[in-house]
Amino acid sequence: MNWLRLVRAELRKLTSTKMPWAFFTVLVAVSATTASAVVWGTDMDGSKAFISTAVDQQSLMAFAANAFMIAGLFGAIAVAREYGHGTVVPTFLAEPRRSRAVSAQLTAVLFGGGMLGVVGAGLTALAVAAALPTTEYTFMISAGSVTRLLAASAFAGAAGAVLGAGIGAVVRNTGGAVAGAVLVLVIAPPLIVQLSTDASSWVPSTLTNVLSGIGDEVGVPGALFALAAWAIVPALIGLLAVERRDVI
Amino acid sequence: MTLVGAIPATALSENRRADLARPIEIDHVTKRYGPNVVVDDLSFTVRPGRVTGFLGPNGAGKSTTMKILLDLASADSGRATIGGSRYRDLRDPARTVGVVLEPNAFHPGRSGRSHLRILADAAGLPVTRVDELLELVGLASAADRRVGAYSLGMRQRLGLAAALLGDPPVLVLDEPGNGLDPQGVRDLRQLLRSRAAKGHTVFVSSHLLAEVEHLADEVIVVNQGRMVTSGALAELQDSATLVRTASPARLTEVIVAAGAAVQLQEHDTILVRGIAIDEIGERAFEAGIALHELSPHSGSLEELFLGWTGVTTAEDVTVPTKEVVSV
Repeated sequence: MNWLRLVRAELRKLTSTKMPWAFFTVLVAVSATTASAVVWGTDMDGSKAFISTAVDQQSLMAFAANAFMIAGLFGAIAVAREYGHGTVVPTFLAEPRRSRAVSAQLTAVLFGGGMLGVVGAGLTALAVAAALPTTEYTFMISAGSVTRLLAASAFAGAAGAVLGAGIGAVVRNTGGAVAGAVLVLVIAPPLIVQLSTDASSWVPSTLTNVLSGIGDEVGVPGALFALAAWAIVPALIGLLAVERRDVI
Repeated sequence: MTLVGAIPATALSENRRADLARPIEIDHVTKRYGPNVVVDDLSFTVRPGRVTGFLGPNGAGKSTTMKILLDLASADSGRATIGGSRYRDLRDPARTVGVVLEPNAFHPGRSGRSHLRILADAAGLPVTRVDELLELVGLASAADRRVGAYSLGMRQRLGLAAALLGDPPVLVLDEPGNGLDPQGVRDLRQLLRSRAAKGHTVFVSSHLLAEVEHLADEVIVVNQGRMVTSGALAELQDSATLVRTASPARLTEVIVAAGAAVQLQEHDTILVRGIAIDEIGERAFEAGIALHELSPHSGSLEELFLGWTGVTTAEDVTVPTKEVVSV
């Protein structure tokens, strides 16, 4: 019961600043870019083959990889700013057992990341649906596939946010946490693939494609587990760091 | 700010608050940061029903001691408790201890009301307390403004509102008067005195010595992480003796050997603490030193503080180990 109060407090923290609006603006910008691509974009041969089939449209609308990265930044900022502004102090005064306080924070961030994923995927689907009438193609994706895109994006957003939160808890400085998140989300995966091509099936972009139904390198359960592992490992490191360190 | 008077106590009854009055115990606490010993085997007790000032120069270890007490920092050795329990073991910390630590521990983009609502949510306190406290500290009209637009005094008042949210019987306040206007300082003083009068434990660090002089019943003075002195402020202020003699150096040698702390006032005048006025006279007589004046001296807190902490010229002050007192 007490823990749920902490989660509620953490959710209020997330929603009582302009940060959600900033991320919403990013989602709108991404979906607008996607819509622009539908309206004005062409393949190399000048055709619009990239939206000519249901699979193509599903691939264009797959937002999960973006959700993982955007929510990763969201989680990193949400947690690191707590340390930067010192607002983590009243949190630990209200709940001195830090593992409970951090788990509440991770839960709230997970929920926020999931929301970002759903909203991002929803806006993208709406943008594509709105843009397609300007072309010769219709909206071909089934309701089931749209649902899967939304679910994949929600899961990826939640996982990305938890990953970012773990980095934020370790780094504790907003700028540093953002840089750390970019390193883990954007720079590290290609380097890992370069070191071992076998690892390409397990980097976030591949896993989110599997979840979105546009890739089959691994099974869906494996993708769920692996993407969760990408989130849980830094979150556990962050939790351990918070438990061991002095707060201020 | 209208801090004076009864605090709306929707959260706790008067009886329960009295039951919860608890002493703060710092028991041989040591804290190191690398090679630096920030708190060095510090021990003292803060009693309920008193306002206890926690004094020391910058870097003396006051804030670190408070953070250890609140489990925000870990001690290398020793134990800090509130009512016999470590902070992390308190059943309901927000209703037991009110804390002001950092004047800027707010998100600048969040409103004052949101800040308090978050704390109320986390502590399981009724949301009605938020409006009550905003009214109490005089921030009701600014409650929905961003904290980033608050003055230092307003942020300090918001911090006080946060500390009082759970109507706790223990207050731990680090420089709560910083940035407050004179009326705010006076209201704060009256608030803390009224809390102490109800049997609450009030532990306040401050560098505003004149303010502490008006506020505190007892003081604990630390310097370089160590206890310098502690006790009832009135007794400490009356504990000095002014001595005028043609041989201040010789007399200093004699009475320091007897455990006194000596501070040179003028070329022929010294201020002596730590031994009784009679003993000073007797030892001077035994040593054949003529005294031109021997009188009780009631010093200001600032004067005492400078003597205790050696902030004046070091060679002018001798602080013997005997003066280190534990309550």
